Amino acid sequence: MRTPKWASRTALGAQFWQTGKAADCPVIDAHAHMGAWRGIFFPHASPEQMARSMDRAGVRTVCFSHHAALSSPDVMNRASVEAARAHRDRFRAYCVFHPAYPEAAAAELAAYDSCADVYVGLKLHGDMHGVPYSDPRYAPAWEFADRRELPVLVHSWAGSPQNGTPVMRTVAERYPRVKLILGHSLHNSWSDAIAMARDFPRVYLDLCAVLDERTGVLERFVGEAGSERVLFGTDIPWFDFHYYIAGVVAADIPEPAMRNILSLNARKLFGLS
Amino acid sequence: MDLEFFDCNAFIGSAQTGTWKPAADRSGILAAMDEAGIDKALIWHVGQQDWSIPEGNDLASAAVGDERRLWGCWTILPPHTGELPQAPELFARMKSERIRALRIFPNDHRYVPGRTALGSLLDEAVKRRLPLFLSVERGGTDYPVIDRLLGEFPRLRCVLCDVGIWGVDRFIRPLLERFPGVRVETSYLALHDGVLEELVRRYGARRLLFGTGFPARLPASAMLPLLHAPIDEEDKRMIAAGNLEGLLAEVKL
Repeated sequence: MRTPKWASRTALGAQFWQTGKAADCPVIDAHAHMGAWRGIFFPHASPEQMARSMDRAGVRTVCFSHHAALSSPDVMNRASVEAARAHRDRFRAYCVFHPAYPEAAAAELAAYDSCADVYVGLKLHGDMHGVPYSDPRYAPAWEFADRRELPVLVHSWAGSPQNGTPVMRTVAERYPRVKLILGHSLHNSWSDAIAMARDFPRVYLDLCAVLDERTGVLERFVGEAGSERVLFGTDIPWFDFHYYIAGVVAADIPEPAMRNILSLNARKLFGLS
Repeated sequence: MDLEFFDCNAFIGSAQTGTWKPAADRSGILAAMDEAGIDKALIWHVGQQDWSIPEGNDLASAAVGDERRLWGCWTILPPHTGELPQAPELFARMKSERIRALRIFPNDHRYVPGRTALGSLLDEAVKRRLPLFLSVERGGTDYPVIDRLLGEFPRLRCVLCDVGIWGVDRFIRPLLERFPGVRVETSYLALHDGVLEELVRRYGARRLLFGTGFPARLPASAMLPLLHAPIDEEDKRMIAAGNLEGLLAEVKL
């Protein structure tokens, strides 16, 4: 067996290679889901199964939105809150705001404080719900988050009329106090994502669906935006912790940057211990 | 645990759509394998897909040369246009040039992959136990085409590779159950939490072949999930290298 060179370059790489986890770097996943979804069979989508995968990879906390909260307006955030409360030591939830159902969405915001024990911010998904984030139907969510300076995790993707670069820049300018997490980092518009991180001090770049291709983009994010602005995310149960952790610890970036990305940035952003 | 890795799915050369830090030749791929900790590889040249099939095949052969850590994989075409050597010369050259597997890219190369176009070659592939690699993502085929092709050649040793970024269980499980010659390359399976272990539990480790998708995907990301998957060590050894070694050892050229 040949030991990978990356596993010899940093203590963190060596730990993950040898044991699958790093005791001194508890991983925080800032972009996750839970439960079944129509288009994919997920072998491990329950909180118990996800927790077992977390243990294997040294993932301390997962911040998620349940697929029911995104796809079933009849259930909304109840599924996320119940799962997070049942496993409070491992999961935190985003409150999904659904723009097609304004009254129900307003009720979810009104109930936010009663779920403050598990919520870490809001989750918006423009492509899934078919509404641009700059549309007035999203304004209640943005105003709520802006007032409270909350993290908002958004799905963002190159070329999307709902959540491409122009829309993301518009909302970042309009709501400057929001801690805006660009889910998927404007996938494939990497230069636009870096520019947003440089132009807006509260914009963060999420690695979910960024590291599944070998493009050198993480090295660019760290070099041009700074490792303090990059968050680790996997979309689990869509994707695998070790797959993405390997993308960080095998990257050509300094070890302190790896630790920022895997753990420290999210702990600071979400106020996690 | 100590695992030897034998990558069944890596290419050399620069893809027309862009490649970050490609391996240009033999020394490039060996350096990339050393960086990743990969012992051996079955390689092809991206020119076999993007450019000229015979010249791409030649580039793959040149990269393999007499390097004992490398084996090659050639692309085939319908023999009717006479662009590639015909059997038996084709197989004689494959033997002498350490080529032990085939690929097809029927969408990019514009033909219908079935008995009409490839019957004589794929009958030989079955007889000679030559694995055929079908890339789902890279200009190859889609699942309905794969289903039809395997229906016509049910004993074909077929490796489904680059199976796609979203989970593919609903596509590949029916194929694994119906066609015993089907194997699946793991670079995208490793992307999905729990898929490797569930496939091993249901179909056995023998059906999976370790691959990286290099240089399009990260070798480390293909390796770490397998290294720490909750499956038996012997199953890991089979997936990481043993299954491919066995497949290639059975090829008759």
